[in-house]
Amino acid sequence: MEEAPEGMNERAEFLQRIRTSLGRSEPVTAPVGDAPPARGPVDELAARVQTAEGLANGDADALMDALETSGEVSGWVVKRVPSAEEAGQYVLEVARDLEARSAVHSLHNVVRDALYGDLFSGTGIELVPVEVDRASEDAESESRATLRAAMASADLGITGVDYAIAETGTCVIIPATGSSRLVSLLPPVHIALIERGQVLPTLDELFTLRRRDFVDGAVRSYMNLITGPSRTADIEYKLVTGVHGPGEVHMVLIG
Amino acid sequence: MEPRTRQFRQGSASALADDQIQRNLDGLYSGFHSARISASGATTNWEELRERGRQIKWHVIENLDYYLDLLATNVEKAGGKVYFAKDAKAASDYVVSVANSRGVEMVVKSKSMLSEEMGLNERLESEGIEPVETDLGEYIVQLAGDTPFHIIAPAIHKSREQVSDLFAEKLGTDRIEDIEELTREARRQLREKFLAAGMGISGANFLVAESGTVTLVTNEGNGRMVTSMPKVHIAISGMEKVVPSIEDLGLFLRLLIRSATGQMLSSYVTTVTGPRRSEEEDGPEEFHLVIVDNGRSRLLADEHLREGLLCLRCGACLNACPVYRKVGGHAYGWVYPGPIGSIVSPMLTGLSDAKDLPYASTLCGACKEACPVKIDIPRMLLYLRKELTQGDNYPSDKSVDSAEKLAMKGWRASVSSAGTMQFANWVGRLGQSLVSQQSGSPNLPGPLSGWTDHRDMPELKESFKSRWKRLQKE
Repeated sequence: MEEAPEGMNERAEFLQRIRTSLGRSEPVTAPVGDAPPARGPVDELAARVQTAEGLANGDADALMDALETSGEVSGWVVKRVPSAEEAGQYVLEVARDLEARSAVHSLHNVVRDALYGDLFSGTGIELVPVEVDRASEDAESESRATLRAAMASADLGITGVDYAIAETGTCVIIPATGSSRLVSLLPPVHIALIERGQVLPTLDELFTLRRRDFVDGAVRSYMNLITGPSRTADIEYKLVTGVHGPGEVHMVLIG
Repeated sequence: MEPRTRQFRQGSASALADDQIQRNLDGLYSGFHSARISASGATTNWEELRERGRQIKWHVIENLDYYLDLLATNVEKAGGKVYFAKDAKAASDYVVSVANSRGVEMVVKSKSMLSEEMGLNERLESEGIEPVETDLGEYIVQLAGDTPFHIIAPAIHKSREQVSDLFAEKLGTDRIEDIEELTREARRQLREKFLAAGMGISGANFLVAESGTVTLVTNEGNGRMVTSMPKVHIAISGMEKVVPSIEDLGLFLRLLIRSATGQMLSSYVTTVTGPRRSEEEDGPEEFHLVIVDNGRSRLLADEHLREGLLCLRCGACLNACPVYRKVGGHAYGWVYPGPIGSIVSPMLTGLSDAKDLPYASTLCGACKEACPVKIDIPRMLLYLRKELTQGDNYPSDKSVDSAEKLAMKGWRASVSSAGTMQFANWVGRLGQSLVSQQSGSPNLPGPLSGWTDHRDMPELKESFKSRWKRLQKE
């Protein structure tokens, strides 16, 4: 297999051209001039993280109320339920209304709790968990292909979230083991289950917590901020939902 | 994309005569423009955000070598590859070499104006690789063999009937008049492509230096598909898209999205930091970032135009501009239309071929007012006009009519001395009466006709000085 060019010379020349354009001849080891960071310097990050976590827990009820409103504005069907069990009942209701034959779901704890026991047994709806068999390389690639086909043909995708954002009516999913990029994307309907304490006031708290993750070296490859259904207005400005992603999205607020 | 910036006059004339384009352009104002005003109005500290966004972008641009180096190091740390491309050809060469070495036959693409700038689709096709645009607007534009009309809504010049005809002709569908049905059809067609593609190519809205993260802002979900489904993901980005840390994203996402579509947040914001990790369930095995100069260092090197690199590509200045709203995107003849395009295009394609663009503005300031990072576009347009009248040093341009240059030089000389101005006013009134007698309508003759061919010159009944004296007495 022919390798792509390594590109070290290109990098050096490229950066030198920028330096020349800026009237400098030597590389700098730190940025020149005042950097006005949007949120504050990195050495005060710990304090901002503490504030963000304090807000998420301290104002949990008010933030759930705010998310209920902003979620509806941004196009989610919002449902509030007192417990994971009732969230499961709601999921089943939606699946029945859709006449779903199969649903894929992530393995977030809240999803396991909601889809408890034999909730779906006897309903004729197949539940497909996001699980990859890593026993061997062959098993892994076969298992990935099967999972992908299942996600592509599912009528419904069910996930938990890592965070939600009250400011914008947003669910945040950071894929990891048991949590896929595609469950919330390929099926025509997505249901997100959100627990008390997961709601952040604004985008700023989210990115503060993400910066903490990066500084700590806990880097995952992907993050999606999902704010309502997939939509377009590319033909005559007419709003159409469900272009490539789900056209119908539900946010279930638990507790 | 082949620059057609020379044809601004023809392009704008044909847009002005096209009723459908005029109707669709009106929609920009009632749609995006009004939505931007409500969304920015609903953001309590909007003016503060603009100012801070501007400061951060300036800081990055003035330290671009530092931040790009940091970015590249961190993308590599996350398992990605970085390629620095000095021009469109080098960038396309790299994409093609990766595609060929992986045996890729088809690529799915999410919207990237840089890809248009590079002519990447034409290049891929010439290599026998099928490029598929997956943003609905870009898909329509690609099927039609057309070019984007607006950076946010590329196919907004087309009517539903035209899209229907296009789908019938190119996809063999029945005639579909309903916009929802047309969208469903595109979903069906493109879903197959997402499942089969060997490579995904995306643009980038922001590159986060500290974490090596590419950020994409989309609404349809095609950006998520392109970055998740194929085995290889290549992100291509202009070198100016860097922000220092992920904590800056809250600010910049608000500025970009609320200025572009007036949404509080787009349906999807996606961040990509390297390829899929082994413990993750899906995502590409390879991630590449191609950082492209392609003339941007020319903007960087000119301190009068450097500010153009602050642009977030939101399109707000297009929607606000009284000229864009009449002549539309195609008249500008290249990838970036509107007020910001009138600065960027001449610098990337050459001022001599784009000499009408700096004049395609009334200098009303609506663009600067709308810009989320307060880019002083009128100042830069004036600077380019000045360069055009001098024509000799930068950018070594000889194409401006020398008589117009002479006239402008004459004007500069005349305003600098009261005596000459008095004389010029007198000559002006005399000149105008001659013109009026000749043609009945006051158009300037010969080399100055460019100023009056498309508008009537108001009659100067008296000189400024005598009018001023009279008004003071009244």
